[in-house]
Amino acid sequence: MATAAPVNANRVDPRRYRELNVLQRMYRCRADYLYVLPSLGVMFLVIGYPIYYTVYLSFFNTPPSLSMDEKSFAGIENYSRILASSRFHEVTWNTTIWTFASTFFAFVLGFGAALVLNREFPGRAVTRGVLLVPFVISAVAASYVWRWIYHSDFGVLGALAVQMGFSDTPLNFLDSIDYALPSLIVVNVWKEFPFAMLLMLAGLQTVPDQLLRAATVDGASVWQRFWHVTVPHLKGVILITVLLLFVQNINHFTIPWVMTGGGPAGASDIWITQIYQIAFGRIRFGLASAYSVILFAVMIVIGYFYVKALAFGDERPNA
Amino acid sequence: MARSIRPDMFSMNRRRMLARTAGAGLAAGAFGRGVFARDGIDVSRWSPEYIRTIADTIEVDTAAECAKVVPLDYEGRLTYWYVGENEASSEIEKEMERAFFAAFHDTYPNITIDKLNLGYNDMATKLRTAALGRAAPTVVRLMLLWGCEFAAKGQLMEFAPEDVGHSSDDFWPNAMKSCRWKGTNYGVPTNNETMALIWNADIFAEAGLPPEEPPATWDDLVAYSNQIKQKTGKNGYGLVARVNAGNTPYRFMPMAWAQGGGALDEAEPQPGYETIYIDNAGTKKAVQDCYDMYVRDKSVPVSALTNTNNENMDPFTSGNLAMMISHPSTYAAIVDRAKKATGADKAIAERVVESMRYGLIPEGAERRAVVFGGWNAHIFKPDYVDGEHDLDAARAFVAFMTGPEWSIKLAWAQSNPGNLRGFKTRWMKERLEQIKFLDVTTSMLPSGIPFPVIPESTEIMNVIVPDMLQNALTEKMTVDEACEDAARRVEELLGGI
Repeated sequence: MATAAPVNANRVDPRRYRELNVLQRMYRCRADYLYVLPSLGVMFLVIGYPIYYTVYLSFFNTPPSLSMDEKSFAGIENYSRILASSRFHEVTWNTTIWTFASTFFAFVLGFGAALVLNREFPGRAVTRGVLLVPFVISAVAASYVWRWIYHSDFGVLGALAVQMGFSDTPLNFLDSIDYALPSLIVVNVWKEFPFAMLLMLAGLQTVPDQLLRAATVDGASVWQRFWHVTVPHLKGVILITVLLLFVQNINHFTIPWVMTGGGPAGASDIWITQIYQIAFGRIRFGLASAYSVILFAVMIVIGYFYVKALAFGDERPNA
Repeated sequence: MARSIRPDMFSMNRRRMLARTAGAGLAAGAFGRGVFARDGIDVSRWSPEYIRTIADTIEVDTAAECAKVVPLDYEGRLTYWYVGENEASSEIEKEMERAFFAAFHDTYPNITIDKLNLGYNDMATKLRTAALGRAAPTVVRLMLLWGCEFAAKGQLMEFAPEDVGHSSDDFWPNAMKSCRWKGTNYGVPTNNETMALIWNADIFAEAGLPPEEPPATWDDLVAYSNQIKQKTGKNGYGLVARVNAGNTPYRFMPMAWAQGGGALDEAEPQPGYETIYIDNAGTKKAVQDCYDMYVRDKSVPVSALTNTNNENMDPFTSGNLAMMISHPSTYAAIVDRAKKATGADKAIAERVVESMRYGLIPEGAERRAVVFGGWNAHIFKPDYVDGEHDLDAARAFVAFMTGPEWSIKLAWAQSNPGNLRGFKTRWMKERLEQIKFLDVTTSMLPSGIPFPVIPESTEIMNVIVPDMLQNALTEKMTVDEACEDAARRVEELLGGI
């Protein structure tokens, strides 16, 4: 009696399965692929097609006076123009500062808050709720509030500085090319550190208590327990949190756009605001697409590390 | 290429044919004499006195006029996007907007409007995206700088005042020019604006300046601003230099034009929009004036780089800002704010209202200039509209909106109705009695210069000009470098790069 072809790789001898090529493996797992086919179809439509169209559009010149049907093929001109422009280097530098500083400070602050909240103390639940407030406030609303807090003529911070004698005139935060970007980073860190706090808090709650107690019995100090027990146990969570913050920051649009529009004189212009400005302020969809493709390539690299980080978490025993 | 709507619009049925005949007859009757003659309008005659003499000289029956375009029992639906009332609007403007939609509903009870009120700085971006996604509204009211881009892309229907029962001669020539692309008309003007200089006479007196005399030239304005800062510690002039905000070019371009500058040659009598003026001596002088006020004298708000003019209203109301360029509606808006103020703030605001003065925008070495601003109604082609494209509903709506009654009521606190017949109605007389300083902004009309009517105008005015200012004001570049950088960008832009 003929036997049906195995549809699940688990039923096959693992050694033989490993010898099969990709197509053969896929054929053996065809039922699994059928199950995920609808999802793949949706992903192709809502993710794949826009990516394809953006890449396609990046090779065209689309001046504001022409409709999209009249676009002209420009080859790699859009890419060479972007890479050769001094504005690109300036924006890339701003993006680097914005992304690394926001990620670093949001993570450090979030981790610190998580460590505090992981301990029992009176009012812990209330404190946790209060610390989550920046995270749940709409980014647009928060940006407007901060814009007024920072306002160079009537801002609360400027008025406080004058009142306390730190300055004769209100401080110039957002209208200064030196302070605009750092001021926005402060707002961004305030807005997203609770995200890091939540992830790290969840991670901290998985650290086995007996390990910490054993370390205490062995005479480890608080710092040693943190560095040699807690941190190694949280490596996976830390990696994922940092990567998520990084991706979130490199793509962050609302705070810089609402608060300064990338100004003054491009001092707080980052990749994503620059892409928006090129596409919708200057109506250059081809150029904006080329910019987006460059950003996408960077994101792919980060995505690769993210997947590796996830795999790292999976491979670790007891993870 | 844009497709004409006229052949199918008027060959569809007898009602439309009758409407067109009646509309043409009405136009011929109304505009056959004086300054309304078909050979154009002599704007130099539009003095405050002239406007007073023509007010309340005609009776208008809006419903009857609209019925000749589209029957009043017409059943239909349309989508409409516009920049309407916002938190900075005066109560009069808010009331008029509500009354407009209520009156349209009374006139055309079977036409449903799905309306969307968008912010000034969001409209162009959202509309571009919507049109690309073929989800634009049927009717849109756009600032006159914006329409050209959509017309050039072939997204708007060919559409003229004659299609809604008016005559092109009912409208300012500059306004009609802003509706035209390559000789074809794509819209109907709804209202036209010229701004004026507003100042606080008390602050002038406190600074030792003649309280009833505005600065005559831009050089005077720079000097006044500095003197005010030195003597009172208050900001002199409400400079605005935010990127991507229409307020910036509306306040900077009059300075540049006055000195013989510009973006292109738009201030010349016969502009060709091909010669770059943004790095000429006139524009550099205007940027230098801004630099002197912002960097050298520190006599303007530090927040000028992130401010729109809305942010100048509160310091002006609280007596902390002496001068700004704005609409006549600013008076009504500040009166509203004074009413809402409490305690000591109320007394200050009421005092500011009393000491508020309007005057002509200063002159420069070449001329006195102001932006000939305004808004136009456009209809998108069916291909770009989300859902049903009901052309008759759109025509009824535009006919109603741009007729003499509502073009004046919707511009109640603004400068001018788009439809010049509005000046001859009784509502104009009411307005002249109710809106203080209206005559001053009307006196600026002969100095009105429209932005270049090219699709690239939006980028030049909203991005390149503010960037140039920011580069100079932050000292990232010298004034010369900032202007030359802007010229290079304009050249690239016009070259299709």
